[in-house]
Amino acid sequence: MNIIETQNLSHRYWRTEALRDLTLAVPTGSVFALLGANGAGKTTAIKVLMNLLRPSAGSARVLGVESSRLGERELAQIGYVSENQELPLWMTVRQLLDYCRPFYPTWDAGLEAKLLRQFDLPPDRRLKELSRGMLMKAALLSSLAYRPKLLVLDEPFSGLDPVVRDDFVSGLLETSRLGDWTVLVSSHDIEEVERLADQIALIEAGHLRFSESTESLLGRFRRVEVQMEGLAGEAGLPATWLGWRCDGGRASFVDSGYQRAATEAACRDRFPAASIQAHPMTLREIFIALTRAGRKQPQGVTS
Amino acid sequence: MLPFSIELKPGLPITEQVIFAVKKAVVAGRLKPGTAFPSVRLLSQELRINPNTAHKITATLVAEGVLITTPAVGSVVAEQAAGDRAAKAALLDDELERLVVEAKNLGLGLDEVQTELAAHWKRLGRKYPRTEH
Repeated sequence: MNIIETQNLSHRYWRTEALRDLTLAVPTGSVFALLGANGAGKTTAIKVLMNLLRPSAGSARVLGVESSRLGERELAQIGYVSENQELPLWMTVRQLLDYCRPFYPTWDAGLEAKLLRQFDLPPDRRLKELSRGMLMKAALLSSLAYRPKLLVLDEPFSGLDPVVRDDFVSGLLETSRLGDWTVLVSSHDIEEVERLADQIALIEAGHLRFSESTESLLGRFRRVEVQMEGLAGEAGLPATWLGWRCDGGRASFVDSGYQRAATEAACRDRFPAASIQAHPMTLREIFIALTRAGRKQPQGVTS
Repeated sequence: MLPFSIELKPGLPITEQVIFAVKKAVVAGRLKPGTAFPSVRLLSQELRINPNTAHKITATLVAEGVLITTPAVGSVVAEQAAGDRAAKAALLDDELERLVVEAKNLGLGLDEVQTELAAHWKRLGRKYPRTEH
């Protein structure tokens, strides 16, 4: 089952098309990472899902309900933390929690106390006097304490120091429940997401480039190095080979459809005496390779 | 603390890395039969991984007979088939492959690699004596 589904979702700001036919499904129970460069449409997509923006076309369903009809019942099961969240800055941390508590039937006072300690938050300090890291932790705490079924995090890590990021991840995992806990996280801090996400989607210019499991994504990408005789141009190379570079007897490229036997055979077909090495890639490297390839050829390679 | 040692490398599937580390610890005798294996929750929190991934790791280890689940205790390390030297050798597959690829790239022959290997074996012999379980 999918906790979030969009169909051909589009959104325009005046003449700018921020989302273009975005069709996306977030399976219940997954940790789903929405990746994309700045301005790719991640925040717009999340705002439409959270009913903070109306779609210009298409539909979005969250917890089985059209996003424009999200009501109290659904919102009590959704936690939303955004980079640019507006918080009542005149309140103290304690006042913020006292204010939020009555809205959520599932509020867990024990978890609230535990996270307050774990996050090292000063309960009597006003939000406007908190550092950015502390403020984000306060926002996260107020969204975790009711153990939401769906947690939506928009660039949660941006501008946070490593210790705060670590606190953030600990807090997240503290509320995890197998099978009944879904996280949608948008980020360009890919390393934070790599261990957590089991599904990865890449958005480019408001459009979905791909959405697949982390395992299959990491499995199909390899940086391949070939040692061979002479030079070889880009013409006639397989479409899955990205970022081809060749320089005096050495060539390297990123294979986005790597399969050991097939990739090696494709290399040997072209360069008979080649010695071939394939290296696994981090999510960051994959992201960079795809973004560069996307710039070069607008259609890109989809799978 | 986890009862086995692991350093997760980015870019490789986490499931495979953890399963490999656990098998290595079992085969080397660092994880003894009957030892309690960490819960999905602890595994997820200690390694900072998704609970789904932690669940998959445990389920795979159970399916492969490395762990057994008992209703009261959770998962414990299973009694291993005695003296399975082939299983131990298989754990070196990746390292061996890397060595062979590097040697071939350098144009070295098998005999030269064997000589070097023997020298290292001898040099480290005292520091890491062979252990039998």
